[in-house]
Amino acid sequence: MAGSNEVNLNDSKRVVPLNTWVLISNFKLAYNILRRPDGTFNRDLAEFLDRKVPPNINPVDGVFSFDHVDRATSLLNRVYMPAPLNEPQGGIIDPEKPLSTTEIVPVIIFFHGGSFTHSSANSAIYDTFCRRLVNLCKAVVVSVNYRRSPEHPYPCAYDDGWAAVNWVKSRTWLHSGKDSKVHVYLAGDSSGGNIVHHVAVRAAEAQVEVLGNILLHPMFGGQSRTESEKRLDGRYFVTVQDRDWYWRAYLPEGEDRDHPACNPFGPRGESIEGLKFPKSLAVVAGFDLSQDWQLAYVEGLKRSGHEVKLLFLEQATVGFYFLPNNDHFYCLMEEIKNFVNPNC
Amino acid sequence: MVLYDSSALSAGSGGGSGNSSSSSSKHPQTDIDGLLAGAGYKVRSSELTQVAQRLERLDTAMVNSPADFTQLASDTVHYNPSDLASWVDSLLSEFTHTSALPADGPGFLIDPGVNQTVPNSSWNDQSAPQIRRNVCFEQNQNHQVTVVTAMEEDSGIRLVHLMMTCAESVQRGDLGMATSFIEDMQGLLMRVNTVCGIGKVAGHFIEALSRRIFQVVGHISGSSAYENEILYHHFYEACPYLKFAHFTANQAILEAFDGHDCVHVVDFNLMHGLQWPALIQALALRPGGPPFLRLTGIGPPSPDGRDCLREIGLRLAELARSVNVRFAFRGVAAARLEDVKPWMLEVSANEAVAVNSIMQLHRLLGSDSTRNSPIETVLGWIRELNPKIMTVVEQEANHNQPAFLDRFTEALYYYSTMFDSLEACPLQPAKALAEIYIQREICNVVSCEGPALVERHEPLAKWRTRLAGAGFRPLHLGSNAFKQASMLLTLFSAEGYCVEENEGCLTLGWHSRPLIAASAWQAAPDGASEVGLINGGGNINNNDAL
Repeated sequence: MAGSNEVNLNDSKRVVPLNTWVLISNFKLAYNILRRPDGTFNRDLAEFLDRKVPPNINPVDGVFSFDHVDRATSLLNRVYMPAPLNEPQGGIIDPEKPLSTTEIVPVIIFFHGGSFTHSSANSAIYDTFCRRLVNLCKAVVVSVNYRRSPEHPYPCAYDDGWAAVNWVKSRTWLHSGKDSKVHVYLAGDSSGGNIVHHVAVRAAEAQVEVLGNILLHPMFGGQSRTESEKRLDGRYFVTVQDRDWYWRAYLPEGEDRDHPACNPFGPRGESIEGLKFPKSLAVVAGFDLSQDWQLAYVEGLKRSGHEVKLLFLEQATVGFYFLPNNDHFYCLMEEIKNFVNPNC
Repeated sequence: MVLYDSSALSAGSGGGSGNSSSSSSKHPQTDIDGLLAGAGYKVRSSELTQVAQRLERLDTAMVNSPADFTQLASDTVHYNPSDLASWVDSLLSEFTHTSALPADGPGFLIDPGVNQTVPNSSWNDQSAPQIRRNVCFEQNQNHQVTVVTAMEEDSGIRLVHLMMTCAESVQRGDLGMATSFIEDMQGLLMRVNTVCGIGKVAGHFIEALSRRIFQVVGHISGSSAYENEILYHHFYEACPYLKFAHFTANQAILEAFDGHDCVHVVDFNLMHGLQWPALIQALALRPGGPPFLRLTGIGPPSPDGRDCLREIGLRLAELARSVNVRFAFRGVAAARLEDVKPWMLEVSANEAVAVNSIMQLHRLLGSDSTRNSPIETVLGWIRELNPKIMTVVEQEANHNQPAFLDRFTEALYYYSTMFDSLEACPLQPAKALAEIYIQREICNVVSCEGPALVERHEPLAKWRTRLAGAGFRPLHLGSNAFKQASMLLTLFSAEGYCVEENEGCLTLGWHSRPLIAASAWQAAPDGASEVGLINGGGNINNNDAL
C-alpha cells in the first residue's frame, strides 16, 4: 500500500512545478480532512482554512473589483473590470454608463470550481485567477458565489447561475458595442464547468443569448467506471472515491451518477439538439481522471449539432491554471482570449 | 484628571505563577514564493521542498489509516492557515504523538527539523520553546472598499456622486462650491428613501460634511459620557460587532489565565462592563476552581459627583459573589487614555495580567509634535507590564489617511456596509440608537481634524506592523474560536454576517467586507522587536467554551 502511494506521489511530482504541487497537495489534504464518510461536511473548518480576499475598488495591476449582493437572496457576485474602463469615481460605477458604445467588451460570467462543495468567489485562488483573466482577455469578469453542497444540493448551483445570468444581462453598465447589449460568455472550472453547461441550456431554452461557453476540466461523471478513471485513480491528486463523495453530496438523495446533472449526454440525458446553444471551448487535462467523461461531453455536443473546440492538454493536471508557471496556463489564456474576441 | 479608588469590595489572596514567555528565533523576511502568496499562502521558496516532504508524509499517513487521520485532523485546533509550513507541521506533530506515522520509506530525505517534537499545546508551556515559522509579512494593502449595494435608485447614485464631488471641493478648499453641493444634496435627500439603503447613510454624511464646512464646533447635541454609554449599549444589542469583540477577547483571556490563581484584567474602556459577566461566569466554571479576579476599569470621569465606574464595579462584584468568584474592582477615571499611568493600575508581581482594548488604541494615533506620540507611550508601558495577553479589537478600516477625500471615500463605504448590516435588525429602539452611535463616529471621521479627530481607524495590516514595532508578537486565534464565533452569529444575527480567519486574527464583517478585527498579543522577548523580524506567534488553545 505504502509503496503504491509513493508511486502516486512521485507521478504528480514529476509533472508539475514544486509550488503548484505544494498548493494542490495542500488542498487535497485539507479537503480529505473536511469530507466526512457519512456524507456531511465540516463547513466551519472549511471556511476557516479557505484563504479569502476582499474586493478592491482601487486598480491593482490594472484590475479593480467590487462586490454586489442581492438583498433578497444574499447572492454575491464579484465584478472585475480593467481600469480605466468605466473607472469608478471614488468607487462608484455610474449605472447608466455602458462599458463602451463602440467596442465590444466581453463579460465573462465565471463559476469557480470546488466540486460544488469548496471555495467561494472571494477565495484567493479564484480572485487571482479572475484578475488574470481580465488582464489577458481585456474582458469584464463576474464571479458568482453560488450556494454549495451538501447544504445546498442540486439544483441550487444552477438556480444561482441562472439568476446571475439574468442579473448580468440587465445591467446597463455592462453594455458594450454598437448594438448596446451585454455580450455574455459563461466560464467555469471543475463544478463551475458543469454549471456552465446547465445554465447555458436554461438560457438557450429561455432564448437568452449566451455567446460562448468555456469549460475548464468540467466536472461530469456517470455510473460506470471509465478507463481513464481506473488508470489515473489516485495518481494526480484526485481519486474516484472523492469524486463519488462530491456527487453524492450534490445530487438528490438516492440518485446515481447517471442523473442528467452529472451525465448530461448519458442514458437519462435530455437532448439539446435544435436548441440555439452557444459555441463551446472545452479544456481537458491529460492527467485528469475524469477526462473520459469530459471527452464524452464534447462528443455529445457534436452529436447534437453544436460547435465545440476541444483543447486537450496532455501533460496537465487538475488546477494547472491556478499558478501561471507552466505552458498550459498561457496556452489556455490564449485560447480563451481568442474565443471571446469579437473579431474572430 | 481624577484618580478614583473603588476597590476593596472583596479581599482575596492566592499564589500565582509569574508571567512567562517562550523564546523565539528571528528569521529575516525573504524569498516568499510570490505565486503562492497570490493564493493566500506564505511559504518561503527555500522551504518548499520541506513542506512538500511533510505533505507527502501526511498523505501516506492518510492512506494508511484514513479514519484515524481524518478524525484526528478534524478534532485538532488549527491556526493561521496562511502559514502553510506551520500548519502542515502541526498536523504532522499530532500524528507523531499518536504514533500513526509510518517510517520514512526509501527515497525520502530525513528532515531533522521534522523529527523534533513540536509541542502543539498552550503557549503557557514554559518548557519547550515553540519554533514557529510565522513570517511577519508587511503587506502593502490598498484600502478596500465595496460598492454600495443599493444602486437601483437613480437619485441615490446622484447623491453619492454629489457627496464625492463635495468632499473633493472641501479637500481643495473651495468651500463656496462645497456649500452649493450641500444645498443640492439636501434637495435630493427629499426625493430619496431615507429610511434605508444609500439614502439613510447619505443623510449622515451630508450632515457631517456640513459640520465640517460650516465649522460647527463641539459634540453633536451636547453628548456626554453618559449618553455615549447608552448609545454604545444599544449598538451592542442591535448588531453583533461588540458581542463578537467581547466573546473573542474573553476566549483568549480565559485561555491566557489558565493555571493562574491571581488574575487582573485591565479594561481600557469599561462602559457598562458588558464584556465581563461572561468572563466571570466562565472563570467560575473553570475546572479546578476560579482564580481571584481583579478588574480595573478605565473610563471618563463622572459628572455631578457620581461615580459611574464604581457603580458598574459594584454590579459586577454582586455577580461575582453570586457565582463564588473572589473579585475586586478598581475604577480609574481618565478623560483620555494617554492620561493613564501604569502605576494607577496597581499591578502586582504575582498576577497574570490581561490588557483589553476594544476600539481604544486608534484614539491614541493623533500626533502632536510637541510631545511623545501617545500610542508609543501607552504601548510602551503595556509592554513593560508584560501582560499574559493583550486583546485588541479595532475597526477594520483605513480612516486615518491624511487626504480628506480618501478618508471620506473609505468612510462612506465602511459605514454604508455597516448600515446595510443593521437593516435586518428587528430590535427597537436598539436599532435607532445604534444608528445614532454610528452617526457620531461618522461625524468625527468626516468633520473633525487634529486633536478632535479621535476615530483614527487603521486596518489590521497596519496594526500588525505597529504592534510588532512596539515589541509585541501575535498570539494566534484558532479554528475553535472561529467556530464558536460563527455559531454565536447564527444564534444572534441576520444572515450575511461573516467571520473570517486572517493570519491568526479573526474578523467579523458583512458579506465579504470585514468590518471589525480581533487579535491577541503578548510582549515579544527583548531583542526581537524590530518590524519584519518578529517570528514566533504562539497559539491560543481554545478548548474551553465560554
